[in-house]
Amino acid sequence: MNEFSQRLGIPPLQADAPAGATKIGIRDLNFFYGKGHALRDVSFDIPTNAVTAIIGPSGCGKSTLLRSINRIYELYPDQRATGEISIDGSNVLERGFPLSDLRRRVGMVFQKPTPFSSSIRSNVGFALNYYERMSKSELEARIEDALRQAALWDEVKDKLGESALSLSGGQQQRLCIARTIAVQPEILLLDEATSALDPISTAKIEELIHELRERFTIVVVTHNMQQAARVSQRTAFFHLGELIEFGKTSEIFTNPHEQRTRDYITGRYG
Amino acid sequence: MQQVSGHTLKAFDEDIERLRALISQMGGLAQHAMEEAMRCLVQRDAEGALRVIEEDKKLDALEIETEKRAVQLIALRAPMAGDLRDVVAALKISGVVERIGDYAKNIAKRVPMLEHAGKIEPLSLLPEMARIAMAMVHDVLDAFVERNAEVAVQVCERDSQVDDFYDSVFRTLLTHMMENPQNIGQAAHLLFVAKNLERVGDHATNIAEMVYYAATGKHMADRPGKSAK
Repeated sequence: MNEFSQRLGIPPLQADAPAGATKIGIRDLNFFYGKGHALRDVSFDIPTNAVTAIIGPSGCGKSTLLRSINRIYELYPDQRATGEISIDGSNVLERGFPLSDLRRRVGMVFQKPTPFSSSIRSNVGFALNYYERMSKSELEARIEDALRQAALWDEVKDKLGESALSLSGGQQQRLCIARTIAVQPEILLLDEATSALDPISTAKIEELIHELRERFTIVVVTHNMQQAARVSQRTAFFHLGELIEFGKTSEIFTNPHEQRTRDYITGRYG
Repeated sequence: MQQVSGHTLKAFDEDIERLRALISQMGGLAQHAMEEAMRCLVQRDAEGALRVIEEDKKLDALEIETEKRAVQLIALRAPMAGDLRDVVAALKISGVVERIGDYAKNIAKRVPMLEHAGKIEPLSLLPEMARIAMAMVHDVLDAFVERNAEVAVQVCERDSQVDDFYDSVFRTLLTHMMENPQNIGQAAHLLFVAKNLERVGDHATNIAEMVYYAATGKHMADRPGKSAK
């Protein structure tokens, strides 16, 4: 369909917007929870300046993939990953790859909002203070900037000193996004980030994802296929730890090639 | 051809089946209308022609119903992939079948004007032309129900038969007009009838293109091994 629009000079669909070069290259990734084999020989390239959606039934390895990208699994002793995940060409799974550097470059937002039980201001400022040295005024400016980018500023600007826990669920989640993007990561991982939110908060976060796409590489895991269709340019479908199909979102949702993808997205699974 | 198993949500299957049934029902009505219109034309049955005109309203109502159901299905079930293509195809096909009904009605409307005409030769050719065109419609609607892209391609290829018929009828009618100017009025009406039938063939190929897209996700023009026209 892309070729048609090109031939006719019609701007492409958002879902067909051109993606950038490869940001995250995944090769032969295998993941183990003890003896459980959660990801099997996964290989694909996640492009920069685009949103890649990971979809699939529960237990298919979606979240495991995200956990592998920022190596959060290392907090647990019997979990391990083999293969290669390269960000801008360097394999982050290698022992020698500096973790703090990785965590700064790869931000993650979880299903449930996880604000610190401190003020709104210090929720966003905490990581900034941790990673960078800056003056108080500069810090204030960066906090404001992050809150603006997360479309939260107008709602909290008069109560930055109040507890983050006083915010609504949707606001807390946007605060977590603000906190994550404050340190200017390159990659943003969203693991079911809107599944606990009402439709309006969800729409705000989807709009945010759309805007942030210009500057970040975004990977979203979602059970909501409509959401995957709405926000992403690329979609990967996982089933039982295997990557079944990866392609343009517009293609996956109108004409998937694999039977299993077809069954899943049309509601014929299982 | 694909998607053998049903949806986890059974009501979804029922909705899609109902939509398909509506298209089949419309196809049946259009077929009957065209057969009747041609019979009335040949037998100069003005009363029967009035019935054909009257019954076209049913087809119009069914088209509206199909559109309503398709929109509801999109809104309530958020169909994806092959399901979505099916629903969009059903929506477009219903419009085309309604149009074919209009052609039958248009032919029926000409019956009273030809009632007292002398025997003009193409009158014997037109029912055969109608039969071929409507067989295309019938087969392509069956292909829609069966998601059969191959039959859709075959139907398209049959359109040249209808076009050939049209060319031949056109030439014959022209000759009649030149032979005797008194024939012009009648012949002009028959020319419109032939043109309507030729359009029915075109519409059948339009439906075939939608059936092909619904079944394969690809456009017929891009199909592999397609001979350049």
